[in-house]
Amino acid sequence: MAFFEQEIHDAPTTFLSKYVFSFDHKVIAKQFLWYGIAFLGIGGMMALLIRWTLAFPGEAFPILGPLLFPGNNGVVPADTYAMLFTLHGTIMIFYAITPILIGAFGNFCIPLMIGARDMVFPTLNMLSFWLAVLSALLLLASLFTPLGGAAGGWTSYPTLSTLIGSPGIGQTLWCLALFVLGVSSTMGAVNYIATIITLRAPGMGYFDMPLTVWGLWLTAILNAIFLPVLGAGLLLLTFDRVFGTTFFLAGAAATSGSGDPVLFQHVFWIFGHPEVYILILPAWGIVSDLLSFFSRKPAFGAKATALAMTSVTILSTLVYGHHMYSTQMSPLLTQSFMMLTMTISIPSAVFFANWLGTLWKGSLRFQTPMLFSLGVVFVFGLGGLTGLYLATVSTDLYLHDTYFVVGHFHYTMAASVLLGGFAGTYFWFPKMYGRMMNERLGKIHFWISMVGLNGIFMGMMVIGYAGMHRRIYNPFVYEFLQNLIPLNKFITFSALTMGLGQLFFVYNFIHSMYKGPIATQNPWEVGTLDWTIPSPAPHYNFKEIPVVRCGPHELGNPNLVGKDFQYQTEELVKA
Amino acid sequence: MALAEARNNIVQGKEGDKIISSIAMIVALVSFGMLFLTLMMSFALYRFTAPIWPPAGMERPSLIIPLISTFLIILSSLTYISFEKKTAKGMIDKQGLGMTLVLGTAFMVSQFVFWSHLKSHGIYVSSGIFASVMYGFTWIHAAHIVVALTLLAWLYNKLSSPDKMTAVLVSSIGKFWHFLGIVWLIMFVTIFVL
Repeated sequence: MAFFEQEIHDAPTTFLSKYVFSFDHKVIAKQFLWYGIAFLGIGGMMALLIRWTLAFPGEAFPILGPLLFPGNNGVVPADTYAMLFTLHGTIMIFYAITPILIGAFGNFCIPLMIGARDMVFPTLNMLSFWLAVLSALLLLASLFTPLGGAAGGWTSYPTLSTLIGSPGIGQTLWCLALFVLGVSSTMGAVNYIATIITLRAPGMGYFDMPLTVWGLWLTAILNAIFLPVLGAGLLLLTFDRVFGTTFFLAGAAATSGSGDPVLFQHVFWIFGHPEVYILILPAWGIVSDLLSFFSRKPAFGAKATALAMTSVTILSTLVYGHHMYSTQMSPLLTQSFMMLTMTISIPSAVFFANWLGTLWKGSLRFQTPMLFSLGVVFVFGLGGLTGLYLATVSTDLYLHDTYFVVGHFHYTMAASVLLGGFAGTYFWFPKMYGRMMNERLGKIHFWISMVGLNGIFMGMMVIGYAGMHRRIYNPFVYEFLQNLIPLNKFITFSALTMGLGQLFFVYNFIHSMYKGPIATQNPWEVGTLDWTIPSPAPHYNFKEIPVVRCGPHELGNPNLVGKDFQYQTEELVKA
Repeated sequence: MALAEARNNIVQGKEGDKIISSIAMIVALVSFGMLFLTLMMSFALYRFTAPIWPPAGMERPSLIIPLISTFLIILSSLTYISFEKKTAKGMIDKQGLGMTLVLGTAFMVSQFVFWSHLKSHGIYVSSGIFASVMYGFTWIHAAHIVVALTLLAWLYNKLSSPDKMTAVLVSSIGKFWHFLGIVWLIMFVTIFVL
């Protein structure tokens, strides 16, 4: 399998080469982790500002409000509100989840779990991170332009996002920021795909890879194929805004000839639907592995899980039309897209059943990573099921653009991915920093987050079902929505609780980095390759490239002596 | 002596490096391909929904300049292929690569001529969807050509002291250059001829 000798390079010595412009995949992973967590904080604050406005319209946001909006008595102004939900979506999806799940865990786990000394293109890897930084600077710069940042929604549909809907340079910078980020992610994807194909340790077939690596690999493939689609759309939108082309302008907006605003929706969702799987697949992979590790049992149907995830990946490319049922699409098409979307339930049900099969009769260890993984099982189940109502044309036409949609995609994309990301962070923290995170604080963090996010997103589905629209600054000017104010207050209090709960994580993370108990080589007692090396992982990862002799989930074999798991480098003990 | 050493370096380029670079380059080209495919999809939509094409009484620009561009880019790919073949045999064909560079640059020049030709015929960037397609798509393609020309020039410079990665670079950059040629051919047939 090995295509070339992986040499051991000397450890970098200067501060710059060690922590800033590092070629080491583990350092780049940590850079992405910090980057993602920082943006998680910014995006989370934006969410709180949005929630406050919906629960207490016309009231000043406590403490921060007067500082941020002095001209408006501390109340979030209407145009700022549009900017807030636009940037909340953009930041959470592209600048928080993507760097954490794909940037951090992708970089950290892939080489360690497949037994490689680094990524196959370390320079490309470093470039990928610094382009992501450039992109973040572009996005943050857009906030300080005269008319403020982008305010056309994270989907940036024309005409909201053309010069008519968003004059000013903010939206243009938004397009450029996302384009640069797309380039960065594509670079990462090329690297991940090539690394997994070429650098697996001798003896490691594709089905001997941990499911985490499977998830990350499928994600990388989707990234490489579909990010350029968004890239093309953003380029054309930028041309429309800067040079006066009319790709997405029609009617009176176009001087002569006619573009097509709906085209952007097609382009956006051809990318956008795979994007939601890009975000969730790494979390699925991590959870599939962790459930097995903490149930002390082999992953039930691991091969079927991998194949089911692959089927979802393929199907995810064929269903984008379900985002556009209300665009006068032909009923023939809406029904086809509905059928295809429903088909995704089948592979999803397969791996979901496999998760439950893994838990069944296991000797469960309820450590923090396991709690978060179980949380993912619960919230993803709920999020997936509510997706059926949105996939069905007849119910979607009612639910379209209501808070039901917001609740649904937050359950699948935000709650599941966030909990999966936390599970991974608690799980790999010892390998990253050589110290353990505090279990008690971790459990408090889990329960506050779990109760909080269910309060938020369950509440959103209820108010959405009652007819509350997604993007209105003050929905309560409408009489039929006024009795939803108490429920909106409940959601906001849940959000504040959840927000405060994250302080436990931040404290735990930073405190444990310096003061946590020293981690052993294999604190969780699992057999994948990343746990065969010391904690924290040395800069060259493996002194000898390991030879793989069995699968990643060989736990609980009764014939094992002295321990209940075996390393992937050990000959399989017959059960 | 130096020549023999250089030749050795090229021939001994590691098989593993070549495979890895091919995999990476193919993935990258799939990405680039999707970018242009999206443009083509957009074009198909504009083309089929417009009652007449070009719309709004616009006149088609003459095919002569795009034809010259096509001719230039095909020639540049052919010279590159012969350069690649010679490299595989261990020869350093600086002249062959130089030809590709010159032809590629000539292609860029022909694009500028084309844009000024459009302007002189009253087709401006903001003159509606037909002009948008003409300018926007060729801009995006030309931007890629500029990147590729930079890579070719860098490779030309590297040929003076070939090492074990040279053969890998020759084939990777070549893939990109041929890819851009194919994209131009598709664009020529779709947005100019049809």
